[in-house]
Amino acid sequence: MEGTEFSEEAFFAAIAASGARALLIGRRAMLALGAPVLTADYDYWAAFEDVETLNAAVAPMGLHPNRSPDEARRTGRYALENDEHVDVLIARAATTVTGEKLTFDDAWSRRQTVRCGAADVALPSLDDLIMTKRWSMREKDVVDIQFIERLRRKKP
Amino acid sequence: MKRQKLTPEVEALYLAPLPPEEFERRVRASIAELDGPEGENLGELIDWFLRRYPTPAERLAYGRRAYARWLRAAPQA
Repeated sequence: MEGTEFSEEAFFAAIAASGARALLIGRRAMLALGAPVLTADYDYWAAFEDVETLNAAVAPMGLHPNRSPDEARRTGRYALENDEHVDVLIARAATTVTGEKLTFDDAWSRRQTVRCGAADVALPSLDDLIMTKRWSMREKDVVDIQFIERLRRKKP
Repeated sequence: MKRQKLTPEVEALYLAPLPPEEFERRVRASIAELDGPEGENLGELIDWFLRRYPTPAERLAYGRRAYARWLRAAPQA
């Protein structure tokens, strides 16, 4: 299945209209900004308090959480799933192993917005997107950081 | 969208966390590469992508099509 029934624009519009503070991160954000990379799913970093709002926004699209909001807050992440898979991080802050801390509130305050059809999509700043790529420290993240850094050098 | 399962070998190479020092070394090296031919190649690729798909919606749609193509072509793990 190619997921052709899924309307990405409707998905983004539902999140934007809900008022949930949620940043699209990961490779889907890189694609939106101009990096031609492959990815299977969507990654969001959402405000700790906005889990229920986010869940309600995408429920009409058949996306259902795999954990209760309380359990998701305890573990710091959950997924919204149907034919699509949306990973949601809900940490108030995340720290790299080298001690660099990024809070959600700071990333949200520095967010950039791109237009996807009729919907606004909130993304981290390029610097913050790079920081999110330092959390897992995989070879994949090295490649992604290089792409994002190149995108940053293109910026006027 | 169906997700492709990676073989354990690919997963180990690509998705396993690196030791912090090694990760930082590779990041520094990859950024240094941007001042040479690798940076030019990457810049040309990004320029093409932005020219061919000028809006975020078009780029995201490309991503879904490209992943579906890759899934069809990928060997089953």
